[in-house]
Amino acid sequence: MAMRCKRCRGQAVMEVRRHNAAFCRDCYLHYVGQQVTRAIAKYRMLGHTDRVLVAVSGGKDSLALWDLLLELGYQADGLYLSLGIGAYSERSKAVCEEFAAARGARLLVHDLAAEHGYTIPEAAGGTGRSSCGVCGLSKRYVFNKAALDGGYDVVCTGHNLDDEAAVLFANTLRWETGAMARQFPVLEATRPGLVKKVKPLYRVAERETAAYCVLKGIDYVVEECPLVAGNTQMRHKETLNQMEEAAPGTKHSFLFGYLERAAGLLKVADDADLTECQRCGMTTQVPEDPAAEAVCAFCRSKARLVKTLPVVEVTSR
Amino acid sequence: MLVTARLRPPDRMVEVADVRRVADLLARLEVLPGAVLVIRDGALLTSQDELRDGDQVEVRFAISGGG
Repeated sequence: MAMRCKRCRGQAVMEVRRHNAAFCRDCYLHYVGQQVTRAIAKYRMLGHTDRVLVAVSGGKDSLALWDLLLELGYQADGLYLSLGIGAYSERSKAVCEEFAAARGARLLVHDLAAEHGYTIPEAAGGTGRSSCGVCGLSKRYVFNKAALDGGYDVVCTGHNLDDEAAVLFANTLRWETGAMARQFPVLEATRPGLVKKVKPLYRVAERETAAYCVLKGIDYVVEECPLVAGNTQMRHKETLNQMEEAAPGTKHSFLFGYLERAAGLLKVADDADLTECQRCGMTTQVPEDPAAEAVCAFCRSKARLVKTLPVVEVTSR
Repeated sequence: MLVTARLRPPDRMVEVADVRRVADLLARLEVLPGAVLVIRDGALLTSQDELRDGDQVEVRFAISGGG
């Protein structure tokens, strides 16, 4: 027998087992909007007069988020950062441009190679970090700087419930208390040079954002990033999904229990002093050695890359 | 009865015989229902929806590893 919608008893199209519920199309879209509205209200993420910058990749989460924020009436512009991952980046950029054009929304486009001299595939081969590590570092830096330069009040990212549960799982396995303390749906701008960052999708699972896109007809990049195969976060998500299958609600309880009962206890662990990077002027941690130059992780990574990338000699005749 | 499933990403086609419901199809493919969406003619299917002979469905993985 077909499933019925929990709200209206019509024919259901989407099951949400962790809530022991199923929804028809309209009630499902209402449910997702409600989750995002609750997230924004609980942590005072956004105001309707704020200038909001949504970091978009062309994937399901960030496009669903941009669509939801526009529907909820926020002044939300998009920011796409081209990472130089061949056809994958080209397709991602085109999808974001089409999304913006269809809604009359403003999309800022930045390019890692043009602005900083490297692509993620080059970086993956040139430093000791994983490609995902360099990618995350580059994105955090560019998003913050673009928001500062553009006068935005807040940056929104499409991190969903599964992303947050997987990161918490990884940090817990290693008892990274400093990283755990910083993992929160809101990171306030605690000093000049830092823009407020929020995650309005932290209450929505990634299968749910994908369903939102299908039901809204949002064309997103279904293909996975070619550099991501077998990465640690994917393996942690697979483990959590096995647990979720046996006990629906496991990921939800793990993340929400942490946020409600444990995160506050860890706030003292995140006591890093901050200062200005002496190369780019952005915010970074004060070095442990007082004699050392304060250089942010992005500038350090970029300096290593410049040394390792092939140098093209230009000679004049 | 025969159902054709397009699994992605990565893109691959599989034919599965004698599956009555979506839940049966996913069990046969050894795919966790909580990790995928099943789509037929652009519409989402739930695990209890019935499949028909000749159906072509997409089994779309919803897990991504960025972040």
